[in-house]
Amino acid sequence: MSVVGKQLNPVQSSSAAAVAASSTAAAVAAGSSSNSSSEPNSANAAAGGAAGIGAGDTKRKEESNVTPEDVLHLTKITDDYLCSANANVFEIDFTRFKIRDLESGAVLFEIAKPPSEQFPDGLSVEDTMLAAAEDLSLDDTADPNAGRYVRYQFTPAFLNLKTVGATVEFTVGSQPVNNFRMIERHFFRDRLLKTFDFEFGYCIPYSKNTCEHIYEFPNLPPDLVAEMISSPFETRSDSFYFVENRLVMHNKADYAYDGGIIV
Amino acid sequence: MGFLTVLKKMRQKEKEMRILLLGLDNAGKTTILKRFNGEPIDSISPTLGFNIKTLEHNGYTLNMWDVGGQKSLRSYWRNYFECTDGLVWVVDSADRMRMESCKEEMQVLLQEERLAGATLLVLCNKQDLPGALNSNEIKEILSLDDITTHHWLVVGVSAVTGEKLLSSMDWLIDDIAKRIFTLD
Repeated sequence: MSVVGKQLNPVQSSSAAAVAASSTAAAVAAGSSSNSSSEPNSANAAAGGAAGIGAGDTKRKEESNVTPEDVLHLTKITDDYLCSANANVFEIDFTRFKIRDLESGAVLFEIAKPPSEQFPDGLSVEDTMLAAAEDLSLDDTADPNAGRYVRYQFTPAFLNLKTVGATVEFTVGSQPVNNFRMIERHFFRDRLLKTFDFEFGYCIPYSKNTCEHIYEFPNLPPDLVAEMISSPFETRSDSFYFVENRLVMHNKADYAYDGGIIV
Repeated sequence: MGFLTVLKKMRQKEKEMRILLLGLDNAGKTTILKRFNGEPIDSISPTLGFNIKTLEHNGYTLNMWDVGGQKSLRSYWRNYFECTDGLVWVVDSADRMRMESCKEEMQVLLQEERLAGATLLVLCNKQDLPGALNSNEIKEILSLDDITTHHWLVVGVSAVTGEKLLSSMDWLIDDIAKRIFTLD
């Protein structure tokens, strides 16, 4: 599998934002940073729950056992994937991920699968964008977890953005999908930054769907921002996807905000 | 979870509105959605599923759903009716040939039980095109005056110029808010 990605409208490092997708293992794996409830001060709020699948537990749970409640109570990033890559029986495939700044309208980050690899036929892919896209080729290793993990590198100014729109685009296979739900947990070290929980509901067989979450960037204290900038890839997220309360996909992402800084 | 937390969560839910955009294919549903959210509208292709936007607007969390309008997709519309607070029926005002089928599809929706409580906003899109019917003409063709089951409003708009788009959405949100958030 290969992935094309392109930073459209690259912004000057002074004004800001995305630097590039450093795609060591990148894929359009939907490490989206959408948000509905910012919880900058609730690092302890989730404490106590879901110890069974916390980072201390190296044993992978059976996928059928992991519930939405479980992952909503996680107090840190998981050590391991909580379901196997084979759990995706509905052939849900993430084909695009995009972040834009609503203040300036600039697209800060965009990565998409080429239409040839998309299902059903890539009709809605803008050719111009793909023509301009640079090839971020992906090592096609035998790792079954390839494509479940995305690494993002941003400049510090990314953390100053006010309103952000995060889009995911995905296709589904021949079966209708019921009660499709996405839960995303963002942590800096063991501190919960935000939780995102959204119910897509029903997805039409062979459909291509998009979802954009437009949200105010969480207001993080300056010392936390400074720490996040000086600790690349210690900001991480888990994205869990449930169909009828059964975990079918689990993707991971990590983030650096020190792009453009000369150490 | 304490009582206050429960209460807070309910509050958050209360402030949410679910708005469903439907209409025949090529009516301009996706273009309206994108225009409303400040996205470029120069390369939009037929929707083969749904497009969702969640956003904050006037203090409410709006969940806007745009579902593809091609004939083969219309039988799936019913999967998106649940909990809908506002229905936006988008009309291609220049597509005179299909006004009858536009009316038929809309009337099917108005009989739908799960949409019974929804406010109806009819957007007569493409007012910028020569030959477009105006909102009065479309009101007649769609027999909107006969509707007694839903709050409704018909507005001529253009997703391309943005004309009247924002004000008509604000009407929709206000009407929903008056209806479901009266306890606030």
